[in-house]
Amino acid sequence: MRPSRREFLKWSVVSGIGLSLSRFALADIPGFLAHETLPGRGVWHPPVGRVDGVAKVTGAKLYASDFRAADMPGWPVETGHALLVRAPDASHAYEGLDLASLPANAKPTVVVTADDLVRAGIRVPDFYKGDLLCPPGKTPLYLGQPVALLLFEKFDAFDRARLLFREKGLLKFGKETGPVDAPNYGAFRFTRIAGATAASQDVYSPIQEGWISPGFVESSGRPVWTVLPDAKGPEYVKGATYGEAIRAELAKSDPAVLSLVRDFETQSVDPMFLEPEAGLAWYNTGDRKLEIVLGVQSPFEAAGAIAFMLGEANSGFKPNQIDAQYSYIGGGFGGRDHTPFPLYVTLAAMFFPGRPVRLAHDRFQQFQGGIKRHPFKMSSRIGVDRASGKITAFAADHVLDGGGLANYSASVAVVGATGAIGMYYIPKVDVTTVALHSRGVTAGSMRGYGTLQTMTALETLVDEVATALPLDPIEFRRRNALKVGERTMTGNPYSVSVRAPEILDKLEAHPIWRDRKQQKARATVGKLVGTGVACAAKDYGTGADCSLGTVTIDAEGRISIHSDAVEMGNGIGTALANRVAAHLGAVADEVTVAQVDVFDELGLVTSGDPYAISQAEQDAAAANPRWVPSISSATSASIGAHVGTQAAAEAARAVFRFGLWPAALALWGIRATDPRASLWRDAYWQNGVLILSGLSPLPLKAIAAKAHEQGRVTGAMAHAFSRWAWAQATFAVDGEDWTGNIDALAVRQGSGSFQRLDRKTVAFPNTDYNRIGTAFASMCGTTVRIEIDKTTGALRIAKAYSVLECGEALVPEIVLGQSQGGFAMGVGYALLESLPPFEHGPGDGTWNLGRYLVARGSDLPLHDLEIEVLPPLSPNEPPKGMAEVVMIPIVPALLNAIYDATGHRFQSLPVTQAMIKGVLA
Amino acid sequence: MDVRDDLTMNDFLREVLGFTGTKFGCGAGQCLSCAIIVDAPDGTSTTMPTCIVAATEFNGKSVRTVEGHARDGVLTPLQNSFIEHFAFQCGYCTPGFLNEGQVLLERLAKAPIARADVERTIGEALDGHLCRCTGYVKYHQAVRDVILADPDRYLT
Ligand code: FES
Ligand code: FES
Repeated sequence: MRPSRREFLKWSVVSGIGLSLSRFALADIPGFLAHETLPGRGVWHPPVGRVDGVAKVTGAKLYASDFRAADMPGWPVETGHALLVRAPDASHAYEGLDLASLPANAKPTVVVTADDLVRAGIRVPDFYKGDLLCPPGKTPLYLGQPVALLLFEKFDAFDRARLLFREKGLLKFGKETGPVDAPNYGAFRFTRIAGATAASQDVYSPIQEGWISPGFVESSGRPVWTVLPDAKGPEYVKGATYGEAIRAELAKSDPAVLSLVRDFETQSVDPMFLEPEAGLAWYNTGDRKLEIVLGVQSPFEAAGAIAFMLGEANSGFKPNQIDAQYSYIGGGFGGRDHTPFPLYVTLAAMFFPGRPVRLAHDRFQQFQGGIKRHPFKMSSRIGVDRASGKITAFAADHVLDGGGLANYSASVAVVGATGAIGMYYIPKVDVTTVALHSRGVTAGSMRGYGTLQTMTALETLVDEVATALPLDPIEFRRRNALKVGERTMTGNPYSVSVRAPEILDKLEAHPIWRDRKQQKARATVGKLVGTGVACAAKDYGTGADCSLGTVTIDAEGRISIHSDAVEMGNGIGTALANRVAAHLGAVADEVTVAQVDVFDELGLVTSGDPYAISQAEQDAAAANPRWVPSISSATSASIGAHVGTQAAAEAARAVFRFGLWPAALALWGIRATDPRASLWRDAYWQNGVLILSGLSPLPLKAIAAKAHEQGRVTGAMAHAFSRWAWAQATFAVDGEDWTGNIDALAVRQGSGSFQRLDRKTVAFPNTDYNRIGTAFASMCGTTVRIEIDKTTGALRIAKAYSVLECGEALVPEIVLGQSQGGFAMGVGYALLESLPPFEHGPGDGTWNLGRYLVARGSDLPLHDLEIEVLPPLSPNEPPKGMAEVVMIPIVPALLNAIYDATGHRFQSLPVTQAMIKGVLA
Repeated sequence: MDVRDDLTMNDFLREVLGFTGTKFGCGAGQCLSCAIIVDAPDGTSTTMPTCIVAATEFNGKSVRTVEGHARDGVLTPLQNSFIEHFAFQCGYCTPGFLNEGQVLLERLAKAPIARADVERTIGEALDGHLCRCTGYVKYHQAVRDVILADPDRYLT
């Protein structure tokens, strides 16, 4: 019953279409992969910086939007262009296109409509359920729903048609029907009542009893939260009875308890990654092969979805083989994880057989069709014991607008609900959540999803509680922060470090916070000064995360890394190179990312849904040494550092242990029987030489040459899986048992080919870990001082400080950069960005930057933003996710600062200059 | 070469010439990821967005794009500084920032400024450029460090 955050299409459903990568033969134009292999063998690059640094400062072809047919070896040279026409109306019946109004030089060669898809036998993958193209006669399911795909041979005709469609509409609508009703996307209730003492079992918790969903009112599809006789199943009744008891207690008037009830609303926003979605595809009718170039965060899913879509198609529309190639992406922030865009790129090619065709959103189209962040309506009640300043109970109801298609809505609801109490320990919690369908543009994954909304509501409420008690806001947080070993609201403790006290101490001691009273008193004439603080504990990982990685070293000591993680700016390529370098002594000069089909030697198979599989099923499946719970996951949920580098790091560790280490022993003349032969853990790299005390340092190149000469392990390929803990397996390598936090391994000896090693034993994390809301969290706190102009309401961020803990920072510069970027995005979310949900919103196709405001340099304290990344708790604390948490606390911190300055608590986002001016008047 | 009157410079570069180093972000003159350098006959240079300007407007003009900064594989100090500072993440806005920063450096080389004005000058020069990933801080630091590393050239 848990919604899969990673909807999963198995290779087995692919109905006879081969899905393999045929590498490009070397041709006069470099192949796609050559563009995407960075920094590139023999290419000069500065000693510091990202592996993709040179490519990005020289304008190299890198992103999906950069490629045309002429850039692809073996393709016809001409590129055709596709225009995806979307409906700006979702309350009238769609009646077709007015193509007659297009002049001759803007006419499409092919027009694809809903009927054509039916005739071709196109299937819609479950995750994108709904009409891919709205059929005439129907009311579009949502604003921005595609209605037709127009295909053009020449750019000029396409370009003219694109402008005419934007200016004139050219879509016909008939009678008013009102918006289309559709069932909600998911509803859940999370209730926990702690036992009498910290040590005792919970009276009730999701991890003990399972997750529960309410019944629904048949006619409207609305959930029924209260316990009705016909509510769904006894499990729901049991949980809801406890939940209602918590609410009754909160409603009681008790002078010893401070009780507050508050509503908070958040807006719809766009991820606004700078490169609009784009793709290029060619269906070669000769060998019936579909080649496709995409830039997505979920490459494995995209390939599966495309294959499913075409799997039962009629002969002209069913390729023998699909060759999907993935590029670097110009920003993602979650918004390119599981989008339907690749399906339309594919359709463009299949309906334009023999011709390469490009589908690329312009910004209007990206606003109209791209995934949005969910708006939330939240009602929260909190009870605080006045004497101790401790939160006694918390209840909340969340309603999400999921827009037109389900996408990740159910998961966003769950993540938001289970994040609703932030960094705090609360013994009694009851949170309900429902994600509704609406005619808005589809909402899905976006950085910090769910928790950004619920923690903003929480942290502003906490600030209000502190004021009302009164108690210093940091002291209040200190008294209530969840401590190591205490249980989260799903009933499990975190399995990673919890460093709230340190974060709070840092915030308290910082001059922005410490000197807040003096600064306020010192405000210049016409200005108001305010200081705010807020914290967030952000989950990362999804409970079924995996990675694939290959590491090889050649006889010259040059290292190559291939990974399935996607580079969206997060520096994953650089993080991979650094993590591997720690084992192999040098930074790779060939790193490829977003690879999903170069791991065939592992021969992986999967079955079942990793989130829903039973223990018995998992145990049975695991007997097959090639079975894993999930093969490849999207690069999202801040798992990049933690998961994305794991397989490559473990592969590198094996290459060291069974390749470089024995070669080094040979060079040192140490026999296998010598006790020093087992000291591999004590050896370390320094500037490309291997050092073991008492022996002469060995250069990597010499060791690598020896390893090749002796036919040792010179390459390893691995798969890692995490369900809040790593799967662990043992393999026989070179006659020794080798255990790693991986579940599949293949090795290469000398210059041979990769051979899969059957695991001898494996331990997958238990399936009941699926009841965990999250076991991984990173923490971040922010304090900010603002200045408001009394007459105009203009807000300036004078100074800000964020403190973050994320375990080992693989590439500290990138962690810092992502923190600064998250801060900027948080400022935009708090003060600037907003999209109307329905009519006159982005779905009408008229939105662009300028009207939609994101933070510019001048909106930020460029020289007064201090970010502190706490060092890891111990030298071997693993990397934790961090990309998302940094954007959260700045949002409530700004609202709390606005209250401090103006005395007004805003209960919705964004808080614009006009709104501030309004309350000052 | 004949081009359509209403073909934008951005499409001319990207679709006709295949020079995709110049990016397309909004098509509305708002993000400047599409900005290129225009060199005037008097030796001054400015940046100009390409997405809202017809290609024909550039007829006879001398322009520079991101592809043209490095010579024979040798990066400019600004390109190196961007890399060393980890100034960008996804890199999609980088060509615009690079062109803007380069024009600024060339301007300062001709008309040096006081040390006290450096931050403000950089801020003003780069402010039109949108970046969704980085929060801008490192871009500013990267440009500043090039200026401060060569005070004889850029500072009074
Ligand atoms: S693409 Fe030209 S300004 Fe945005
Ligand atoms: S680095 Fe991604 S938009 Fe600037």
